[in-house]
Amino acid sequence: MAAPAYPAWVTRWVSGQWRNKKRPPTLRPTRTLALADKVANRREQPTEATCITEMSVMMACWKQNDFNDAPCAEEIRVFYDCVAKAEKDRKNQNEDFLLSRGNLPSSKVNKLLKRFPQITRYV
Amino acid sequence: RIMPVRWSRYNPSYLEPEAKPESYQKPLEELTEEEREQMELKAVRPIKAAPPNLSSSVFSDPMVSKFTNMMMKSGNKVLARSLMSQTLEAIKRKQLEKYHKAPENEKEAIECNPYVIFHQALKNCQPIIGLSSITRGGKTYQVPVPLTDNRKRFLAMKWLITECRENKHRRTLMPQKLCQELLLAFNNEGPVIKKKHVLHKMAEANRAYAHFRWW
Repeated sequence: MAAPAYPAWVTRWVSGQWRNKKRPPTLRPTRTLALADKVANRREQPTEATCITEMSVMMACWKQNDFNDAPCAEEIRVFYDCVAKAEKDRKNQNEDFLLSRGNLPSSKVNKLLKRFPQITRYV
Repeated sequence: RIMPVRWSRYNPSYLEPEAKPESYQKPLEELTEEEREQMELKAVRPIKAAPPNLSSSVFSDPMVSKFTNMMMKSGNKVLARSLMSQTLEAIKRKQLEKYHKAPENEKEAIECNPYVIFHQALKNCQPIIGLSSITRGGKTYQVPVPLTDNRKRFLAMKWLITECRENKHRRTLMPQKLCQELLLAFNNEGPVIKKKHVLHKMAEANRAYAHFRWW
């Protein structure tokens, strides 16, 4: 009888080629297996807008006094104080991320990684 | 060959020059610890060259110089400075006229110092909050936002100058128009103050979007 035409994989299987070490590679990397010099952008918790109460108080005062600044001087001063304080808090907060919450922000991590890149080839 | 470059090319060890004569007239005993250290540092470190607009005279005013720089066109500082001095002179003349015509009891209320008028007018023109465009979900909103001092000063001066350049009669000169605008702003009237009020009204109308800020 003529040789039965089996598909190629049947022959291979029957021959036991794949039971030995001749398997196709389980991993076919499209990119080189090396760490990149970048970290993905992590979305920090968005801080809320500061000084909204002072602003609304000031705007209510404006509405009553037809947008003159002279009668609303106290509210305006309070608003400016709040804005200055918020600015200072933001500056301090920017500097001590090392002491507060665990991980560094992604931008700082990227800057550090750029300074010490992964070596991909030796010369 | 020296190429013009945008940022400063000085070594970071160079210190800024000190123009105020009062800081050099203090006797040694009155200085605090930090000031003594500062003086010792200045004796050792090199000092940057003084820029031409830095002066130690009593008549120099940083606000006035900033205003002249903003009025200057194509680097013609001579013209801008002469316009500024003519403006201050015109303010003084008008105020003196009013002073001599006023009855006795109102004479103290009239302010004659043009520098005081200039500063007060600029202060009256400064907006308190500004609007910034923030995009959320494809739409751009005008969000009320607190402004820094520099930005407020810049906006006040810019509005004043644009107003004087655009809305004047063909034959009036810049000093006269500026003088008029400054006097109006000093009394909280005039188109620049109106512009500031319009900005405040828009901010007030959009106060619901204030939560879109993240700073």
